[in-house]
Amino acid sequence: MIMSETAPIAESGSPAGVPEGDLVRRARTGDLNAYDDLVKRYQERIYATVYHMTSNHEDANDIAQESFIKAFQALKSFKGGSSFYTWLYRIAVNKTINFLKQRKNKHHFSLNDLDFNTENNPDLVALISDKTPFRDVGLTELQKKLNEALLRLSEPHRMVVVLHDVQGQSHDEIAEIMGCNIGTVRSRLFYARQQLQGFLAEYVKTS
Amino acid sequence: MNEKEQNFDRLKQLLKLKQHEVPPPGYFNNFSSDVIARIRAGEAGGRQTFADRIRTGTPWFASFMEIFDTRPGLVGGFATSLCLLLVFGVIFAEHSEESSDNMLVISGASALPASSVAPLTTPTLASAAVPGAQPTGIVASTNPVTSLQPVTTLFGQPGASPLFQSASFAPAGQ
Repeated sequence: MIMSETAPIAESGSPAGVPEGDLVRRARTGDLNAYDDLVKRYQERIYATVYHMTSNHEDANDIAQESFIKAFQALKSFKGGSSFYTWLYRIAVNKTINFLKQRKNKHHFSLNDLDFNTENNPDLVALISDKTPFRDVGLTELQKKLNEALLRLSEPHRMVVVLHDVQGQSHDEIAEIMGCNIGTVRSRLFYARQQLQGFLAEYVKTS
Repeated sequence: MNEKEQNFDRLKQLLKLKQHEVPPPGYFNNFSSDVIARIRAGEAGGRQTFADRIRTGTPWFASFMEIFDTRPGLVGGFATSLCLLLVFGVIFAEHSEESSDNMLVISGASALPASSVAPLTTPTLASAAVPGAQPTGIVASTNPVTSLQPVTTLFGQPGASPLFQSASFAPAGQ
């Protein structure tokens, strides 16, 4: 299961065809069934974003749940200037960054959770079968190195890489989520990639 | 730049490995119900904190606090400016107290001759303003009132210590 790619709006068991706006309106009046549908709709993407930032499932679970709870409590202040999805993302991103600032220097990974399709992914097959040091390391080891490299980035740089290169969000969406302009997103992305390239030099370089 | 983009392509391929990091199977089965249960518990227990109520009730305050969330450096700056404001406030208050004390001393010195003059002049002025009017004894003065009489308090004479009183104890029958 690839949980982090941008998915169509109605997914994860939520009733297809119910517009997001209707669900939000009903949830604002306290309709928890409607909010349950909204949670189901976005839970995997929010969770994935938080997880890729923290590299820990327990932390991701807590932060994702708290983000949904906070969003429900603050729903009355949601003016609809952006989509609910972007607004929710912004809450999750802020919560995650705050959490990471408090958790500084406590790195702990959840490393036993590569899914069954990993080894069948054409990109990874190409990467590993190529003449690179990937051949000599297992996927779990590679995952560990990747997470370590990501955790060495600052939170805003890591967030941009996660949202763009892992989650597949556009620059515009990231700018809206992070409350900065597109130029900042682009420069952060470039800088973050350069940094990662340096951290993972022995794995990324072509031979 | 193009060459760098090509290099980034390999990095992007590597980053796709992250997409395969998934929680255990069935992980999301109870996720939304857990969230709803926590919301219900919060509503039932009224666990919303005062800060949360302020945030939800006043969106401008929420957006103000979000600035601190995204730029934590501002918290230090804001706290520093508040401290400076407090220090300046204390200094200013002390300074203004000193200057008001000085004014009292100066006006007290000038009040002594004025107090001896006032009974003579004021009734004269009053009777001059209204011919035939009797002096009423009501005097309007802008001088601060300073009493030269010793102040008696509810707790005894001034100067006497109201806190300690010598006492002696003698057992009954002696």
